[in-house]
Amino acid sequence: MKTFFGGFLALLVMLTLLAWRMIPPPEGGTRITLTWVTDENPVRKQQVALFNKLNPDLYLVIDPGNNDQSKVIVQSLAGVGPDIFDSWGPASLEAFVRSGIAWDVTDQLKSKGVNIPKIIWPVGLQSCVFQDRVYGAPCNVNGDAIWFNKDMFDEANIPYPKSGWTWDQFIQTAQKFTVKDPSGRVTRFGVYMDWNAWEPVVRNFGGSLYSAQGTRCTLDTPMAIEGLTLMHDLMYKYNVTPNPVQESALATVGGWGSGGITYLGGRRVAMAPGGRWWLNLLRTQQKESIARGEKPLRLGVVEFPKARVQTSGGGARCALINKNSPRREAALRFLEYLAGDDYNNLLNDVADAIAPVQRLCYTDHFLKNPAYPAEDYNEIWRSAADHSTPGGYTPFARGTDLAAITQQTDLVKSNLKSPALAAKVATEEVNRRIQIKIKRTPVLAELYQAALAKESQNASKLGAAR
Amino acid sequence: MGFLLPNFLGFLLFTAGPVIFTFGAAFTNWDLQKLEPFRFTGLENFITLFGESQFWLYLVNTLYFLLGMPMAIMGSLFAAVLLNQKLKGIVVYRTLLYLPSVTSGVAVMIMWKALYNPDFGPVNAIMESVVHALGFAHFKGPAWLQSTQNVLSLGIEHVGIDPKQWGLGAREAIIFMGIWAAVGGGNMLLYLAALGNVPKELTEAAELDGAKPWKVFWSVTWPQLAPTTFFIIVMSFIGGLQGGFEQARVMTNGGPGGTTTTLSYYIYNKAFTEYQMGYASAVSLVLFAIILGVTAMNWKFGNQEVSY
Amino acid sequence: MAAENTRTVVIGKAVTHVVLVVVALLSLAPFVWMVLASFKPLAEVENLNPWPTRWNPQNYLDVFRTVPFAKYYFNSLFIAGWVTFLTVLTSSMSAFAFARLKWPGREHVFRMYLATMMIPGVVTMIPNYNLMVTLHMLDSYQGLIIPGAFSAFGTFMLRQFMMSIHPAMDEAAELDGAKPWRIFWDIIMPMAKPGTITLGIFTFMGSYGSFFWPLILTKSTYLRTLPIGMLFFDSINGRQTNLIMAGSVMNIVPLIILFIVSQKFLVQGIQLGAVKG
Repeated sequence: MKTFFGGFLALLVMLTLLAWRMIPPPEGGTRITLTWVTDENPVRKQQVALFNKLNPDLYLVIDPGNNDQSKVIVQSLAGVGPDIFDSWGPASLEAFVRSGIAWDVTDQLKSKGVNIPKIIWPVGLQSCVFQDRVYGAPCNVNGDAIWFNKDMFDEANIPYPKSGWTWDQFIQTAQKFTVKDPSGRVTRFGVYMDWNAWEPVVRNFGGSLYSAQGTRCTLDTPMAIEGLTLMHDLMYKYNVTPNPVQESALATVGGWGSGGITYLGGRRVAMAPGGRWWLNLLRTQQKESIARGEKPLRLGVVEFPKARVQTSGGGARCALINKNSPRREAALRFLEYLAGDDYNNLLNDVADAIAPVQRLCYTDHFLKNPAYPAEDYNEIWRSAADHSTPGGYTPFARGTDLAAITQQTDLVKSNLKSPALAAKVATEEVNRRIQIKIKRTPVLAELYQAALAKESQNASKLGAAR
Repeated sequence: MGFLLPNFLGFLLFTAGPVIFTFGAAFTNWDLQKLEPFRFTGLENFITLFGESQFWLYLVNTLYFLLGMPMAIMGSLFAAVLLNQKLKGIVVYRTLLYLPSVTSGVAVMIMWKALYNPDFGPVNAIMESVVHALGFAHFKGPAWLQSTQNVLSLGIEHVGIDPKQWGLGAREAIIFMGIWAAVGGGNMLLYLAALGNVPKELTEAAELDGAKPWKVFWSVTWPQLAPTTFFIIVMSFIGGLQGGFEQARVMTNGGPGGTTTTLSYYIYNKAFTEYQMGYASAVSLVLFAIILGVTAMNWKFGNQEVSY
Repeated sequence: MAAENTRTVVIGKAVTHVVLVVVALLSLAPFVWMVLASFKPLAEVENLNPWPTRWNPQNYLDVFRTVPFAKYYFNSLFIAGWVTFLTVLTSSMSAFAFARLKWPGREHVFRMYLATMMIPGVVTMIPNYNLMVTLHMLDSYQGLIIPGAFSAFGTFMLRQFMMSIHPAMDEAAELDGAKPWRIFWDIIMPMAKPGTITLGIFTFMGSYGSFFWPLILTKSTYLRTLPIGMLFFDSINGRQTNLIMAGSVMNIVPLIILFIVSQKFLVQGIQLGAVKG
């Protein structure tokens, strides 16, 4: 027994010496190393390489292993956070600001002549501007549009859809592509509508998840319910998009990647709402097809149908700076880079969604990239980004709203509850939670009163204008 | 005393300390997003918690998942008894039975998702062909991970019975997977080790008296296994009540309709997606109290069991 | 009579074999599925036909090519090795203190140990994390090893084991004037071998597969363990399930080897325990 323990210990000590020897020296040599927590993909590497080329005294490394909001917050509070990290929307931005780790760079950027709110697509601001203060710069901006498979449309002799279409036309088109086998099982769907897109659809129908300042949930208004009902009916009334059970069957039948891209690429659906960043994968697939001697996928893009408001889902990924980083001044130069021409042109070329700087999307090079002549739809992406509006958000439920809403919408998704009833229950529950939160939190109550005043002021203005 | 010291120091530092910390935190508004100044809130967290319908639903889910426990334990005992014999290739059998508990979590869960596929999965394929052969031509297999149904007909949004919810669903799917993974795992090893410690003289004496193997097992071996069984039951309750986290994260996201959200997944969400550390601590305390109560009951019954 | 007996035994053995084969097949099937999936091209991986139409052993090379998989391997084994060693050592010592030594307050301290096992781990993690910050152990091997080296579970388990060892032998040794340290190493530990080995396997598996703690504790690439390294294959480029499967196969090979090796000890330990007990 003693020998066994002793031998084991000796082995471990040897391994420890080995492990110590293998600890690598710091990267970047004499350059200042900046760490950016973000996702890792081929285009990200190109973006980093360009920054390092343009800034010989800095060395930017990406750290995908720590790309998790709670991890970034906890590590930064502990003083070992990254220098730069990503924010994905108003909720994550507020979390970073409230926890005191996002650096307010409004004045710093202004002194460098970078005016983020002016040059960026409006939808991109939700992830970096909080209560009129600027905390970062967008890395990319996206407005969703509808991808379609041109080959499938040609084979079925159906004209390509055109922007400005209605949801009825959308459903009719989708129905033409939905195919059942003799047993009644759907083998091909007209469209793959990601259920998570219900919120933008609600806005498309003129509804909204929250009132303008987020003081109350408004999912139970007739227009909002109309949007939710459409999402439900696409699955259970028109059968043009897979319901959860059908989708799990769809997923087993081969393909690559995941979600809508898979189904579109594998001809399981004719249309799928998505972003321009899908090109990242679609281009690779096209190249592989050509290399195999097959015909590459031919794709088209059309804007979302319009019910009352021409809008679709969208958003931005913004880079923020860690307030506690000793290298934050150097990190500021990264934000400058994100707002500059070199980066934005690169972004448009590699199709990492579209460039955050509006001006650089109004170039001939963007509209017709000579390297990709078949991509005739960049104008659509531009207008989708322009039409895309920020998602509904309330600062007053402190994040407890999401679970309450998801619980109800999941029941709609599974056809266990009518959209109207689910919307009503969710709205009541969220409003109840908001009231609890403001009752418990004096600071929040003050903000809430101010927001309420602003809302009624705007309402009376509207009334007067009428 | 020197024997206890190393473990005790580590225990104080990494277990007892944090536990005391958690006890304190449960009565505060500690929040990683510091919107309001940190303060002690008394019982506020607990009042909110008991007023939330979600909490009760998730508590029911947590208890529901314990239904797989007796089957898993009996399976382990059965497997251990089979493997405790002198047979050719017993090493191979042991290794094979142990495999499910070794295979890495995420990969196994992805696999089970495919197995449970309502239309194309082999689980339904086998089930449907069997039932069709029995003459029920219109039988359709359950939707498993997409279904809120359950064998106890528990309702979805409120704690109670809803006859429409009778059937097999996501909860059963996760329970069956758990049994599969648990039968050949640690409990089987514990039983194997305990079976090896049963004095051979006792069983041999009983056999010489002409007792049937079943009788020998029941009157000689089983009482000898009592401490191990007790240990396994205690640990299974403790583990089971804390469980369900990985399955929810990888397979269901806690759905459909929250039916696979357990208290530990709820705690995780409260702490790491809503950053409400104080509230999450309060939920943990309640979970702790439940586990403590169950264990105390086990101890009471178990001790009678062990003493004979 | 004797002939009938042998026949019963033969039939009994045959039945046992049949039952074992069925159970073993049920256990094995998913493993086979995983190995086969690890040889599939990505497009085929979710097909229910388990057999690859196109064999793609390239996957295994791709795993090593896309991430420093060998280093992750080393880290996982290294960390789990230390954690196992320390846990078994500290737990058996404290179990001995609880099972054999008499000291005031023993039962109270033991109850405390038991009670903490019931605290959900997810919450003690935050205070533990802050502790690591204070001790400057963040992003280091020490931080990955030391908090895992003390186990209330292990103490409880080994105490139960030691309680079931007949006290006659160590009482005799004690009468001969043996010191507790000698009784521990020369009498109790050899008899508790099945227990310590079982605890060793549990601890090794737990540490080897642990995900959340290394995820939040490590920042540097060179410290990453296998489960965290696998995250890479689940990036925005789509879930590369075939590489996950290839990685998983390589991930569990050490565990299978460990089990096959230690299960010899286990049998030996069981027999030793039985003979002496």
